Amino acid sequence: MDSLEIVFSGFLISALRSATPLLLALLGECLGQRTGVINLGTEGQMLIGAMAGYGATAALGDPWLGLAAGAGAGLLLSSVHAVLAIGAQANQFASGLAVWMLGFGLSAYLGAGLVGRKIASFDSVAAGPVAHWPIIGSVVAGMTPTVLIALLLVPAIGVWLYGTRTGLRWRAVGEAPDSARAAGVAPAWIQMQAVLAGGLLSGLGGAALSVDYTRTWAEGMSAGRGLVAVGLVIVARWNPWWTLPAALLFGGAEALSLRLQAADTPISAHLLHTLPYVASLVVLTLTYVRARDSGAPAGLKAVMDR
Amino acid sequence: MLTSLRNITKRFGTTLANDRVDLDLESGRVTALLGENGAGKSTLMKILFGFYRADAGAIVVDGVTVDVASPRAAAALGIGMVFQQFSLIPALTVRENLALTHPRLPWWLARGARAFADPVLRLGDIAPEVDPDALVSRLAVGEMQLVELVKVLNLEARIVILDEPTSVLTPAEAGRLRGEIRRIAAAGAAVALITHKLEDVFACADEVVVMRRGRVVARLRTADTGADDLVRLVVGEDALATARPVAAAPDAIVRCRIRALSASNETGAIADVDLGIAGGEILGIAGVSGNGQQTLADALTGLAIIRSGELIVDGETLQAARAETPAQPSVACLPEQPLRNAIAPDLSVAVNLMLKRIRDLPFLPDHARLVADAAALVHSFDIRPTDPALLAGTLSGGNLQKLVAARELSGTPALVVACCPTMGLDVAAAAAVYDALFAHARRGACVLWISEDLDDLMRYAHRIAVLYRGRVAGVIPATAATRQQLGAWMVGHAQAPVSDAVHA
Amino acid sequence: MPFMRSLAFSATGRLAIAVVAVLLLTGAFFAAIGREPVALLWLIARSAAGDGYALTESLVRTTPILLCALATALPARIGLITVGAEGQIYVGALLGTGFMLTNSAATGVWPCVAMVVVAMLAAAAWSMVPALLKARLGVNETIVTLLTNYIAALLVTWVVYGPWKNPASQGWPATAEFPAPFKPPTFFDSRVHVGLWLAIALAVALHLTLTRTRWGLTLDILRSNPRAGIAAGLHWRRNILLTMALGGMLAGLAGILETASIQGRLQANISAGAGFSGFLVAWLARNDCLRILPLSLLVGALLASGDGLQMLADLPSSISLVVQGLLFVGVLFAGGCLKRLERSHG
Repeated sequence: MDSLEIVFSGFLISALRSATPLLLALLGECLGQRTGVINLGTEGQMLIGAMAGYGATAALGDPWLGLAAGAGAGLLLSSVHAVLAIGAQANQFASGLAVWMLGFGLSAYLGAGLVGRKIASFDSVAAGPVAHWPIIGSVVAGMTPTVLIALLLVPAIGVWLYGTRTGLRWRAVGEAPDSARAAGVAPAWIQMQAVLAGGLLSGLGGAALSVDYTRTWAEGMSAGRGLVAVGLVIVARWNPWWTLPAALLFGGAEALSLRLQAADTPISAHLLHTLPYVASLVVLTLTYVRARDSGAPAGLKAVMDR
Repeated sequence: MLTSLRNITKRFGTTLANDRVDLDLESGRVTALLGENGAGKSTLMKILFGFYRADAGAIVVDGVTVDVASPRAAAALGIGMVFQQFSLIPALTVRENLALTHPRLPWWLARGARAFADPVLRLGDIAPEVDPDALVSRLAVGEMQLVELVKVLNLEARIVILDEPTSVLTPAEAGRLRGEIRRIAAAGAAVALITHKLEDVFACADEVVVMRRGRVVARLRTADTGADDLVRLVVGEDALATARPVAAAPDAIVRCRIRALSASNETGAIADVDLGIAGGEILGIAGVSGNGQQTLADALTGLAIIRSGELIVDGETLQAARAETPAQPSVACLPEQPLRNAIAPDLSVAVNLMLKRIRDLPFLPDHARLVADAAALVHSFDIRPTDPALLAGTLSGGNLQKLVAARELSGTPALVVACCPTMGLDVAAAAAVYDALFAHARRGACVLWISEDLDDLMRYAHRIAVLYRGRVAGVIPATAATRQQLGAWMVGHAQAPVSDAVHA
Repeated sequence: MPFMRSLAFSATGRLAIAVVAVLLLTGAFFAAIGREPVALLWLIARSAAGDGYALTESLVRTTPILLCALATALPARIGLITVGAEGQIYVGALLGTGFMLTNSAATGVWPCVAMVVVAMLAAAAWSMVPALLKARLGVNETIVTLLTNYIAALLVTWVVYGPWKNPASQGWPATAEFPAPFKPPTFFDSRVHVGLWLAIALAVALHLTLTRTRWGLTLDILRSNPRAGIAAGLHWRRNILLTMALGGMLAGLAGILETASIQGRLQANISAGAGFSGFLVAWLARNDCLRILPLSLLVGALLASGDGLQMLADLPSSISLVVQGLLFVGVLFAGGCLKRLERSHG
């Protein structure tokens, strides 16, 4: 392998690894917004997932149990949003922020004892014969199970949403709840399922962050990934297939900032850390500049434009 | 099979929508329910479809009294309804829309699989030219109506209710739909056709039931009935409540000029619209809904982004490209859907009546005086309830329309833009709005009147322009206009094709 | 007076139900972590207002929250849901501190005033990012403000670790201390500073402006239905920019006062979530500037009690964050249920 290839595959794997927690949350948020529910609480769900996942891994010694605990915690917290935004029909933005505050507070409170603890985490996946392929081999060899799970979920959710009866119903609910109801579908029930699925996936994303990516727990460690996910769903045009490039945008920006930092660039690390947020913001803006018809589910448009 | 509605009574608040109504629907027959807006036809059929519950009365199918508690229960009984407002989802394809309501849809929807082809089988019979994989948003209104019909037929409906199916169609599309309705009946279904058009009745109904003010006033066989009798039955004593037409002033000067106007907004776009309106003239704008009518109205009132061209009224440029001009006091506008376009629902009726004068209020507005000023307008336009301090959002649709009319038509604007201003009003209220609107033409103002009702346009307008895909397809004096010519322009043909002539 | 009537009926009823919901939720939470709920609530009350020191500390905590609540409520009057106060605090503090550092030798009264003005203008300029994106392109302002908040906080972290770091602070990331002429006056021999009185005066002034003037009516119309407002000749875009800018100024004021007066130097994480707490307060008050006054005191006291709890009950201070979140959840739940009840009873 020549050095360029090493640099490229190294960059790709670090972008993928840093994008994984975001990608999971993004997929979850994509499902929710598809049915017309926006959930700013994704951030809080990631935090509670990260805390629960790290705690479970530390206590039980198995990172798989950690991932399960994180997903469960995210699901549990998202039920608050489901009850508030769908059950009580509270404003979705306010409800999401409430869930975020609650998730932030709870994870900080419950995770206070986890700071500084060590855990045993995943090894890279066994690449087998693939390991000898150029570029792909070293990328696959650098993957951990959470990366693989996230990458497999993208086509799974994409095919499910566009190729099954339930997927069709979910899309119908997001486009026109009244028409969906007339077609014998219960919109509130489907929206609840979507919010809970979003909670599960963002909790899993949070656990992937603490258990696999950083392998530490710190208060507020998701650092806005959940909110970036909410914005990047718009960039991905509510299409699960597009969540991967959207997440890689953030992951790439973060990998780049870490790389530049390691290379002793004169630019401050803190300034470089703004890169993922600036990039997300710019791309978000460009999606609005390029097309008036953004492909947003009509039911969601009603929520966002009010 | 015989389905009977017995003694149906339904109240909404103090309004009696249905008053002890009896109706029979029989397999193989088309029964037209004829009546003006608000006569109670839709309410009656929504009760049959399980959308509303009757306060009293019963529904009897083949001698068995049934409880139609919900649209689902209705579907189980084989009752299907095509609503006036489409329930198709524009962002999905025709196939997906049909699949969504199909009773036996498999879990896996692979493209090209036989299972996913079932929902569109009937589409091939009824509308073979519609591509099942096209997005519904790309279909013409007439095609959407046919897809809606397929949706109901897919449910194996034995009783098919159609609510004003031809109201938004071009004459040619309407003719085709009437043919399909006859075919459905011939295949054994009982069809109930809600309409206020005599053409619908004569073209496809076996029997006509005339409703007025919530009651059935006549039940006749179409073959034994003449158009004049029906008109008299439909209108009844409301005959007095029609608006007085305005005499055309042949040599009036052009006060309002729309010059090469191109604009766009979220509802669509217009291009190179060039129209002049003389003082005292009523210029009607016809066209199938969604061909730029709303954009034209918005451009004239400062709501749409103008790409090029201008609006000149009495020599003064009021709207032009790139100039961020807000609405002008010399332009009044009666928009469609007042709640969406012209009403601040969280504020009082008084504030809503003063909306155009907010900028002229003192820095510290005197609320007591606002309410006092509003009381006079509330009275003269008969807005109910009469308390000007109530929130506008609590008013009914008809009263909102009256509120907007009171605000926009109480001054002396040079140009009045009206966009389907009588939609949803009963006959008397509609006549009042027309009278208030036409009074401005009589006074010498220009009136630009957008409507989907060709009959009304031909009765009251002086000239009629047709919009097709945002462009003016043709302009013709109302006296020379024929439905065929207007219909041809509405679908983009230059001339009326002979074969499309409507049997009316 | 419509205001009195709404207070007597809906607001009081709503508040009562919300209070019950919040007490139940927090009580359940305390029971779940193995604490006696009533005793712990009493402890929270005591450490928020038990003595003069606790009370003034609560007022100190209230000040930025009050200003941020106003900064959220004002754009909300035209229908914007912005969470930008958090970032505007940072930008105000950042540019205000920058002004102090470049003029640190100045004396007299003007340095402090000029610094505050610079901070307010900077935060207003920062708020133009979401405002312009909303007014010109229709980009959702909630999402944009959430993203820009992170950027603003990182900018402050950058300067305190990098170019503006005080070499004398021995590794602690902070700028040089604010010299006396840049310190806003304080009161009661405590840390309560001029910002509190300023914020209260601003709340009353804003309330009168929004409820009595033509401009307030203009905002009400544009919120209720922008299309109707624009058709009536009102300036939607201009008022979006204006309310966002004024809101930015209020949060910027909070940022620089907190930095100059309470912390005495710029450091990372200055806001301590005041922007979000302000959003919560504005929501609880339904954007009514008078109701914001008592509610920000309530939330400020709650957060201030966190420090007391750490000492008195050996609980991490983050418990007050949990209670704050439960407060928001409880109020939204009560409000939503009431709305449903109203609807079902016509």
